Amino acid sequence: MNDVILRTEAVGKNFGKFCALSDITASFPRGALTSIIGPNGAGKSTYFNLISGAFPPSAGKIVFEDRDITGTAQHHYAKLGIAKSFQITTVFPQISTLENVRIAVQALVSRYNIWRPRATMPELVEKAGELLNIVGLWNRRDRIAGTLAHGEQRALEIAMALASRPRLLLLDEPTAGMSPEETRAMMELIVKLAGERTVILVEHKMKLVMGISDRLLVLHHGELLAEGTPDEIRRNETVKRVYLGQREH
Amino acid sequence: MLPQAFVATCKRHRVVLSIAFLIIFPLLMPFKAIAVNILIYGLFALGFNLMFGTLGLLSFGHAALFGGGAYACGIAIVHYGAPWWAGVLGGTIGGMCIAALIGALAIRTRGIYFAMVTLALSQCVYFVAYQATAWTGGENGLRGIELTRISAFGLSINFVDPLTRYYVVAAFVALALFALSRILASPFGAVLEAVRENEARARACGYDVRATRFMAFVISGGFCGLAGALQALHLSIVPIETLYYQTSGLVVMMALLGGMGTFFGPFIGAGVFLLLENLVSLWTVHWQLFVGAAFVACVLFFPRGIWGTLLMGRAR
Amino acid sequence: MEGITFDLVVLQLFTGLALGAIYVLLALGMSLLFGMLTVVNFAHGAFYMLGAYVGIVLLGIGFNFWLCLLFVPLVVGSIGLLTERFLIRRLYGRGIDYPLLLTFGLSYIMVELVRIVFGTTGLQFDTPDALVGASDIGIGYFPTYRLFVIAITFVVLALLWLFLERTPYGLIIRAGARDPQIVRILGIDVARVWLVVFGIGTGLAALAGLLAAPLQGASPEMGNSILAEAFVVTVVGGMGSLLGAIIAGLLVGVVVAMTSLFAPEMAQVSIFALMAIVLLIRPQGFFGRAGLMS
Repeated sequence: MNDVILRTEAVGKNFGKFCALSDITASFPRGALTSIIGPNGAGKSTYFNLISGAFPPSAGKIVFEDRDITGTAQHHYAKLGIAKSFQITTVFPQISTLENVRIAVQALVSRYNIWRPRATMPELVEKAGELLNIVGLWNRRDRIAGTLAHGEQRALEIAMALASRPRLLLLDEPTAGMSPEETRAMMELIVKLAGERTVILVEHKMKLVMGISDRLLVLHHGELLAEGTPDEIRRNETVKRVYLGQREH
Repeated sequence: MLPQAFVATCKRHRVVLSIAFLIIFPLLMPFKAIAVNILIYGLFALGFNLMFGTLGLLSFGHAALFGGGAYACGIAIVHYGAPWWAGVLGGTIGGMCIAALIGALAIRTRGIYFAMVTLALSQCVYFVAYQATAWTGGENGLRGIELTRISAFGLSINFVDPLTRYYVVAAFVALALFALSRILASPFGAVLEAVRENEARARACGYDVRATRFMAFVISGGFCGLAGALQALHLSIVPIETLYYQTSGLVVMMALLGGMGTFFGPFIGAGVFLLLENLVSLWTVHWQLFVGAAFVACVLFFPRGIWGTLLMGRAR
Repeated sequence: MEGITFDLVVLQLFTGLALGAIYVLLALGMSLLFGMLTVVNFAHGAFYMLGAYVGIVLLGIGFNFWLCLLFVPLVVGSIGLLTERFLIRRLYGRGIDYPLLLTFGLSYIMVELVRIVFGTTGLQFDTPDALVGASDIGIGYFPTYRLFVIAITFVVLALLWLFLERTPYGLIIRAGARDPQIVRILGIDVARVWLVVFGIGTGLAALAGLLAAPLQGASPEMGNSILAEAFVVTVVGGMGSLLGAIIAGLLVGVVVAMTSLFAPEMAQVSIFALMAIVLLIRPQGFFGRAGLMS
């Protein structure tokens, strides 16, 4: 796996005087499931937000498929082939589950057409249905999204992310706040998705990702502490000291 | 509150029903002029509601779009001797242009700032119109939009007759209703809802939130500009107060009263408001007191508005 | 530019500062309300107008102007307290637009009530005897009353600063303006703090109205136009920023005064042009937090 889908070159982020992240150089191989881990406040979310385009870095460069995408506006990411799920669940709460995904699918096809009736575009609904099937929400299609269970909303989010047919899927703590069963289902879904595309996962519970990740990135105090396969990380003395030494929550 | 089947049927045939209603409406009103007023303000409220109800952005600057349309129509007719239909077209385009100008700046803000900035910018338009007396007549308003006969498709129609005037205005309103319902049913209509529901997610889906808002504002300006142009023809004058921010407040009130999340709400709000104003002003000059009280009562006890409450309990 | 001398420009600068002082008082109140309660008070202009009329009433029953300076903000501030307690409080958590709409409706009621009681035509408001005339300020004579307006504004600013910096209430308000979440998390009785903030905000608006009355008289509509201008000041200064309100208020005052001198017909429009420029270059305003606005 020499092919690199995304790399960051010396990226950093300051919020005012506070330095949240500094000098992270890392690359993500295509087709792999890479997890970014680290204790609370390590800078995982900041790093995630940088690579997913929520805000631009204060320093450094982000390269996606050999193309410099530093500072690209968020709404262009879907077209680039990058999709994400947020740490805090974000769906369209007062719209039906199916329509949520249909809107996501529509973004590829039509964004400014004000005249053609949506009813003449059944292929979008069909595609949305397929995506709901993948994440196991087909039988929930007519429910108003805001009334779905927490785990279901997260799955819905992933279906929406998949709508843009991303080559790179970014997931920010997809199991946060989930029950053990929901967590298990979500991890299965992630493994399934990772079989077909590159996935980068931010996770704070290390145990959860050790078994499924191809590679791991460990952040600590806004810096890159270590990277490697799960085995390498497990053996890494520094990681053991600063991370495994802590009690896992 | 209303039987579900009934509502569903109404919804399916809303264009046909609206047109039928528009035809019999003036016969139900105490006098025809108020029916024309209700149509015009209803259209204005409908255009406003595209921003507030559908997109979820509260604008307090819609007086500039409505007034801009009225002045554009009036100026075309008075200063350039344009035919009436060109005035109506000019008003619609005028509303869109003003919306583009205000929108380009205001769209940089959101939420509550949007309300403040649109209000301030519309006041700017007011003061410009106030100073440009050569074009707008300044504080005396733009006079001289006398229109006694209009001709269309080889027919010459007497525009002074209240009922004829009503049907001319109603024809435009029906067209606008049709256009709006097309827009709401279009892909873009879905994007508007998506942006209202969750901006961050809409962006992540690949929608340019700013561009969407800007476009919605300009479209809204088209509807409001058309309403303004019809108002200019109806009154034969454009009073300078048309541009004052209280006019924006009026349309907010109408949309709120009728139910801002609904298609017909704004129209119903405009109707109820104007009829009430008519009633109350018969026995007191201080009817604005009731406007304020109704506003407060609506916000406190009646946030869904009349139509919204009637439709309540139904999933959207 | 015949007849426009350096001295004239400096005098006009002072005129601008006096006008700006009024804006500062208005915008400070507005910023406080927004920073703390996330309420944009559309009735702020009406409270301003009320300040002038309460002044007229108090003068009518034998108060002098100096007592008015104290009692007008107290009376109108109390009305503000009642407004918050019985109307606005019901709306917290129901969407940011609702308090805005409610206060807009309220402004109609207040303006119309004043029309009913005092009539629709404006009333004259005499400048207090001690402040009539002009004072020599080195480069020429300048109306004493305007100097007084500038001075009293700075006194109020100093008092407000002491209150915010040196009292426990002030500490909470400042913390709340920076991050309302924190105050909530700390378990402070926010309801009481909000009440006080609303009182202070509306009281400041009333003081501004009282101070403006001798300059322009009192009329039921005097708060209408100034509401939009106060918005401009708050947007330019940065919402929720008190320092921003002060600097932007004075700046807007000076800009209006200067355009009245050089191009009188553009004076009203200049305010909004200033806002447009600020929005283009720095959408969050001088001292606003980035991201809040766009």
